[in-house]
Amino acid sequence: MGADLGLRSTAGRQTSRRRPGRPQLIRAAVITVLLLFVLFGFPQLLSLYYIDTMTQVAVYSMVTLALGVLVGRVGLVSLGQVAVLAIGAWVAARLLFATAQPYPVILLEAGLITMVAGMVTGLPALRLRGLYLALITLMLAGAITVVLATVNFPNGGHGFLGYNGSLVHIPPIRRPSVAGSDPAYFRYAVIVAILMFLLVLAHTKTKPGRAWAAIRQSEPAALAAGINTTLYKLWALALASFITGVAGGVLAGAVHYLYSIGFPTQDSITLLAVTLMGGVYSMWGAVVAALLYQFLPALLNNWGVSADWLTILFGLGVLQVLTTAPAGLADQVPKDLARLARLLSRLLSRLLGRRTPAPGKTT
Amino acid sequence: MPPWSDFEPFIVSGLALGGVYALSGVGLVVLYRATGVLYLAFGAVGAMGALIAWSLGRENVPGWLTWLVCIAAAAVITLGYGLIFGPALAKRDPLVKAVATIGLTLILYGLMDLLWTSSGGQARSESLPTDNGGFSIGQIQVDWTQVIALAAGVVITVGTGVFLRYTKLGTAMRAMANDREITATLGVPVRKVEAAAWLGCGVLAGVAGLLLADLAALDATTLTFLVISSLAAVLIARLRSITLTFAAAILIGLLHDLLTPITALSNYQNMTPFVLAAAGLLVMSRRRVMTQSREEA
Repeated sequence: MGADLGLRSTAGRQTSRRRPGRPQLIRAAVITVLLLFVLFGFPQLLSLYYIDTMTQVAVYSMVTLALGVLVGRVGLVSLGQVAVLAIGAWVAARLLFATAQPYPVILLEAGLITMVAGMVTGLPALRLRGLYLALITLMLAGAITVVLATVNFPNGGHGFLGYNGSLVHIPPIRRPSVAGSDPAYFRYAVIVAILMFLLVLAHTKTKPGRAWAAIRQSEPAALAAGINTTLYKLWALALASFITGVAGGVLAGAVHYLYSIGFPTQDSITLLAVTLMGGVYSMWGAVVAALLYQFLPALLNNWGVSADWLTILFGLGVLQVLTTAPAGLADQVPKDLARLARLLSRLLSRLLGRRTPAPGKTT
Repeated sequence: MPPWSDFEPFIVSGLALGGVYALSGVGLVVLYRATGVLYLAFGAVGAMGALIAWSLGRENVPGWLTWLVCIAAAAVITLGYGLIFGPALAKRDPLVKAVATIGLTLILYGLMDLLWTSSGGQARSESLPTDNGGFSIGQIQVDWTQVIALAAGVVITVGTGVFLRYTKLGTAMRAMANDREITATLGVPVRKVEAAAWLGCGVLAGVAGLLLADLAALDATTLTFLVISSLAAVLIARLRSITLTFAAAILIGLLHDLLTPITALSNYQNMTPFVLAAAGLLVMSRRRVMTQSREEA
């Protein structure tokens, strides 16, 4: 078995049983402060353009998180996640037009329906492994995209599909009553994303996480060790589809109008590229990937630089990640920064004329 | 159901499309068997070649020279990628090797969109002189490009089969498909054989790009992602048999085009390769025994 993209083993560690030590507490405190800053600082500091962009980042961080679970934790490579996102957005939009249910309920329903859809299509596909699984997800995504192009997204029409091509005044997809404005919706999206990250954390730290790690190392060995590989693979697929479906629901409210051309099959390929670049073994990687995927294009657009440079950069990034840094930017950047810090301190001590070896040189 | 005469023109165009898919599919299978790389950038390098040829054609460079340049460009890019990243990723999983070619696809795609921007709305077209001549069978008009496309598919499939069966290089490729290490131990210059496979695949990518630019559209996105249709044929053949690849490719091309006159289904005609590949894969993966061998699936 070799669907493993990297070399590291990030099995669910047994740390959860012990009392959290000081480093964990510090880390938790730093993350909390960071999140509070994002929730309350960003809407104050950023222009509306960048708030909308950051809402997209929050949405896509869920998508890359789900893909990261599949690729990094279980070793299942999916080339069809944008199609799953489209299903989630479609279901949410249909429900939002058809019912007056509260938004969180709609998100939950969109997640669950997408989960069922993902499992139904995924169950037969899970017989395949590695390259074949990746390619069949690409084929299924291509088929879904064609169907979506014909069916169209709901625009307030009637019937099961909810599409009316002759509507002149298309009503926007509604947002939750507590988050009508763009900054408020941004906070809403970030909170949903945090919940999804916690959901994944709850999985990776417990039994499913350990089972996934075993499956990623070697599926036959996991089977021999008494792990129900089909169950846990399906579980991972269900979790990923659920999260992506919820992300689709958040996306529907964020953009107000949905079009099938917004979900082309090739975006799934780019999505895999940025997820690999961000790093699939850590959840920070999902955030990095979403920033690469949504924030960088907005930034370049603002600067008047063609987005094609970004496509080229993503291509180079994939090659670089696969050949030299399997754990992605989330792993590589801190290491490189530490290396840079060591180099600087060594240079500094040399400049000051001291001959003492710089700290940390022992590695 | 429309009358039969409505379907007739689509048989010809379907066969032509199937021929190009077959040619691409054979290139993909041979490269996969020899090097373990599923070359997802196949469409992108073809598109790059076709666009370079188009630009040269605008500078009044003679047609035959632009076609050669198209094929050469695709071959050089492919060979270059193979020489740089082939050895670096040789020991990795087939999936990693395939994803790496997505990197090349994105680089080429970005470059093409940058250099031959499509936002201006100016449609490009590449037309080969063989479009003008032709003949008719009964009511159906057939142009020479379509004949060439189908013939190229047949010739490449048969030629590759003969090449793999009877030549020394072909035998070496088949040996490497079984086991790279053992083949190297037996004294086969593994790197050279791999380079030959990359070069061959690149040439086929150039030919396919040129033909598809004429038969389909000269557009970076279309050409880059048309490889997915060939990929479907390759998947049905389980990345193994070139005969099966040929048959699947013809079937996909025919079925895709024959759905055009049926109004109820014509919206869904682009699903043909995906549905066939998904069904084929799922049916063939029944009752598969899980093994720990290096040969994936």
